[in-house]
Amino acid sequence: MKFNPRFFVREALKNVRLNLLMSITAVTTTFICILVLGAAILISAHVSSLISSVRQDVTISAFFPQDASQKKMDSVRNSVENYPQVGSVKFVSKQQAYENFKKRFKDNPQVYQDLGSDFLPASLEIKLKNPKDAGVVARKLESEGFAPKDLSYPQQTINRLNRVTDYIVWGLRGATALFLAASVLLISNTIRLSIFARRKEIEVMKLVGASDSFVRTPFVIEGLVQGLVGAVIAAIAVIWANSLFVEWAHNALPFFPISGSDVSILYVLAVLVGLGAMIGVLGSYLSVRRFLRV
Amino acid sequence: MIRFDNVTKVYGRDTVALERVNLEIGEGEFAFLVGASGSGKSTVVRLILKETEPSAGAVYVGGTRLSSIPRRKIPQHRRNIGCVFQDFKLLPNKTAAENVAYAMEVTGQRRRSIRAKVPQILELVGLSEKRDRYPEELSGGEQQRVSIARAFVSQPPILIADEPTGNLDPDTSVSLMQLLERINRIGTTVLVATHDRDMVNEMRRRVIALDRGRIVRDEVKGAYAGEV
Repeated sequence: MKFNPRFFVREALKNVRLNLLMSITAVTTTFICILVLGAAILISAHVSSLISSVRQDVTISAFFPQDASQKKMDSVRNSVENYPQVGSVKFVSKQQAYENFKKRFKDNPQVYQDLGSDFLPASLEIKLKNPKDAGVVARKLESEGFAPKDLSYPQQTINRLNRVTDYIVWGLRGATALFLAASVLLISNTIRLSIFARRKEIEVMKLVGASDSFVRTPFVIEGLVQGLVGAVIAAIAVIWANSLFVEWAHNALPFFPISGSDVSILYVLAVLVGLGAMIGVLGSYLSVRRFLRV
Repeated sequence: MIRFDNVTKVYGRDTVALERVNLEIGEGEFAFLVGASGSGKSTVVRLILKETEPSAGAVYVGGTRLSSIPRRKIPQHRRNIGCVFQDFKLLPNKTAAENVAYAMEVTGQRRRSIRAKVPQILELVGLSEKRDRYPEELSGGEQQRVSIARAFVSQPPILIADEPTGNLDPDTSVSLMQLLERINRIGTTVLVATHDRDMVNEMRRRVIALDRGRIVRDEVKGAYAGEV
């Protein structure tokens, strides 16, 4: 038996037009759900990239003894740079340390007036890949010959930061999952309502000898169209809002490292539209099935 | 063509709709199924369409035992039976012509043959001019004729009408019955469930009378109450 695919598409589009109110309801529901979902995805993307940039700012300062030779300091630096946990290492000479000090206290020069330019020790400023490794790196540095008092790192801050960021990341993931579940339920319920209103029609189709798939196909295409329309509008809205937010953040919060490249626009678009289409198809498929038992 | 073999149908726990019914309707026959509301007429129709299963006994259509037809083959079974309902059961979103065409579309027939056949059948039931009207724009009799056109467009071997004149005035009923008779004359087996006394007396065809789920009378050229 050969079916004409154009017949089904024509049927589906005609149904969308004839049940306009229900179609609008389904599209609106999909739109709102996908919008909230998209917002949740974008917010968690921005927050996690913000968190990882804050984490990168955690540094360990290791101070050399006053009498350390340049050669010795260079060899320690080379060795530290090769630690797997270390992101980058910056050598701060005595002279640079003095300049930094002067800059910081430029408003009261009497603080450093009487001191020579070499009273501050040279140091390494070590940035970590993951602040969790601060303890491990510190112990390694001790074995390089640094005394514990010559190592400075904000252990407490690091611990607290780790805990808070874990909470935030998991909270956002949980919220996204909840939104997803709510969306699926809400959208499939709306579709079910619209199909319930037409259950008599389905019964007649079955009595005239239509097979299940013959009855179902136009409904599924209808669900697909509704899901796609709602999701595409929502995805465009989400991406537009995101670009507005990034632009605003650049101007209003220049010290926050928010960038448009935190999120792959194409990825978000694909996920949201794919999700909308899937919910539409699945929702109508499952809803029609209940009324096919005639 | 249609055979009931000791069929009993019980709804729920103790509502007996049919009780040990034996019945045989041959190919090309025209038969009335008569009886008051609740006598089991509609249950006979529903059993033939395999809308419901008998509680005991067996129903055969065209030699096939219906209980042996799997669920996914039911559509093919129903395409052999044109059906006309008291409440017409037209699709409200389709015009008269589209309603008729739908019955051909479900069997996957070519668009060209659908386009050729639908006007012919609408002509036959006298609705050529109203082909593009929606059901709500048609009178009861016109809707019923669309329903007959839909039931008959694929030329099924069996045509069943459940109270086809139930919602119609007497004049319209007569022309409707003439239509059914014409369909029967070209070889279609026709079964009409009705409690329309005048109709049955007028036609002088086989009458099977049901009373509270039992066959109480089966006459070859019968009348409604058997008073002839």
